[in-house]
Amino acid sequence: MRFKKTKNTIKDIQRHAFLNACLLATVVILSVMLFSVTVISVSLKKGMGNMRKRLGADIMLVPKGEREKAENMLLEGSRSNFYFEGEVYEKVQSIDGISDSTSQCFLKSLSADCCSSEVQIVFFDPDSDFVVGPWIETEYKQKLSGDAVIVGSDIVSEDGKIKLFGQEYAIASQMARTGTALDSSVYFSADAKAELLRNAEEKGSFLTEEQKKGDILSSIFINVDGSHTTEQVIDSAHKTIGDIFDVVYPKKLHESLSGSLGKITGVVNVISLSLGILLVAILLIINSIIMKGRKPEIALLRVLGHRKKDLIRKLLSEMGLISLAGALGGSLLGALIVIPFGRYIGKSLDMPYLGPGIASVLVQILLIVGIVILIVFLASVFFIIHTTNTEPYLALRKEE
Amino acid sequence: MLIAEGISKSYKSGRRKILDSLEISIDEGEFIAVMGESGSGKSTLLAVLAGILDPDEGQVLFEGKDLYKLSDEELSDIHKRRIGYVPQSNFFLKNYTILENIVEPFLAGSSEERLAYEEKAKLHLEKLGIGDLADRFPHELSGGELKRAAIARALAIRPSILLCDEATSALDVTVQQEILSLLQTLRRQQGEEFSILFICHDIALVQQFCDRVLVMYQGRIVEEGIPDNVIQNPSHSYTKRLIDSIL
Repeated sequence: MRFKKTKNTIKDIQRHAFLNACLLATVVILSVMLFSVTVISVSLKKGMGNMRKRLGADIMLVPKGEREKAENMLLEGSRSNFYFEGEVYEKVQSIDGISDSTSQCFLKSLSADCCSSEVQIVFFDPDSDFVVGPWIETEYKQKLSGDAVIVGSDIVSEDGKIKLFGQEYAIASQMARTGTALDSSVYFSADAKAELLRNAEEKGSFLTEEQKKGDILSSIFINVDGSHTTEQVIDSAHKTIGDIFDVVYPKKLHESLSGSLGKITGVVNVISLSLGILLVAILLIINSIIMKGRKPEIALLRVLGHRKKDLIRKLLSEMGLISLAGALGGSLLGALIVIPFGRYIGKSLDMPYLGPGIASVLVQILLIVGIVILIVFLASVFFIIHTTNTEPYLALRKEE
Repeated sequence: MLIAEGISKSYKSGRRKILDSLEISIDEGEFIAVMGESGSGKSTLLAVLAGILDPDEGQVLFEGKDLYKLSDEELSDIHKRRIGYVPQSNFFLKNYTILENIVEPFLAGSSEERLAYEEKAKLHLEKLGIGDLADRFPHELSGGELKRAAIARALAIRPSILLCDEATSALDVTVQQEILSLLQTLRRQQGEEFSILFICHDIALVQQFCDRVLVMYQGRIVEEGIPDNVIQNPSHSYTKRLIDSIL
């Protein structure tokens, strides 16, 4: 019975093919827009959230003159080599006002036969690291041995191994995507640093004597305790280790990015809202034309004994079916457009971007379908009720 | 069967009344013609009697119940089973065949109900001489054929009363005669229950088929009676003019 009713509704829609096709096209455009805007803004926010978690230090000390490189590395995942001497970290640890501190060392792999691909290598101390350590622990809880690595989601490996400077390392775990620079890095325990640096030097990376010894580090991450300010800690650092460092403020970087994201999403929201209002206006116009054109038909059906509520149900079914088809089609079209180009969108906006998973896409499609059906319902219900309430003779008389 | 009491109607408030305190009573089995000049309110009267145009004043009683105080469900039921209405223009659902146009009220019903209704519809199309056009679309039919299809549509529900708004005006005289003969036959077949009220401008047909004729002028029924009496001895000046102009 329900199938028969749906069949009749489709037949009725086909009988008014042109205007219903216009309605369908408008619904498809509205759905594509809603889906795209939702997916992009959710992906940017998720990427941003992940970045905030991973930029969890108050300050980051990097070698003098390397601030820009360090910021680019944090934000865009660009690969860099820059180093302090190892003893710097010990001196920094003695400064008052530090609640947490850890050091990391970065190394660029080579784009040559000795390496599977060009990646950023990060040596971290699993015992003290509070920046990537907690993130890695979400997927890998054991102690990382010197011959094993953790890789970001963008690192491709077919055999569970990665070759770096002529040596193969087992991939202990691959992290879930974060949409940030972390996805394109390889993580080693700090214990493996000396061997890897040695291999790097053999394969052609230029290293100084200190670097060859492995007694180097690239950055020091510091959380300031509640009784000191960051400025006080930085002053103390200057006094302790001299003017050999620049300061990166990861949280400020995040705040600045959040500000940019806010502006971008603000602009996108205004454009989407304007477009949405335009599309709803078009929907109202199309619905008014459809219902005006169908007034004599509805009047005739009432003369022939159709009840008002049956006619309202019939017209709403047609609208419902069109909006369902349009919303599903539009969402799928939106998915085809937005998902493959997600990373490009994030990159072109200079923003961390974490595209949605299948479950999230399905939820968003359902959400869009619900919203679009509601919009079409609201945009048509007045005209439908007005049309069915018009006295049949008056509607027929206007046609004479 | 159908009584209109004190019916007044104007299309815009303050404008001239199209129907002015009109009274009419139609008994079961009556065959009544309505005559009058253009704008006298004939079509409006039929629409009000059919329950598809709310009067400003008065009431229309169908078998004792005021049509305009019925629920939508009750009124729909009357339109589906008791009152057949043939509009002046040929209104058909454009993308439906003639047969689909006739069975449309039952499309949502059961298959058995629909099949039975289709059979009745085909029978009426046959009787009206357009049985072979059942599967054609409205735009493929001539004006006369559409008029006959509209009558078939109204008759297919086996109504108690048929209200025809100039239903035969687009047809040539012989076809008009055939259709009115058919209506006469149907009325006899259905016994005393089937009444017909139709707008007609042909005095000969009125004399031949009708039990009573109503003459309308400026929204009022100015004269009514047996056709021969009204035509031979018109009492109202307008009726005299009307008959003089036609004869």
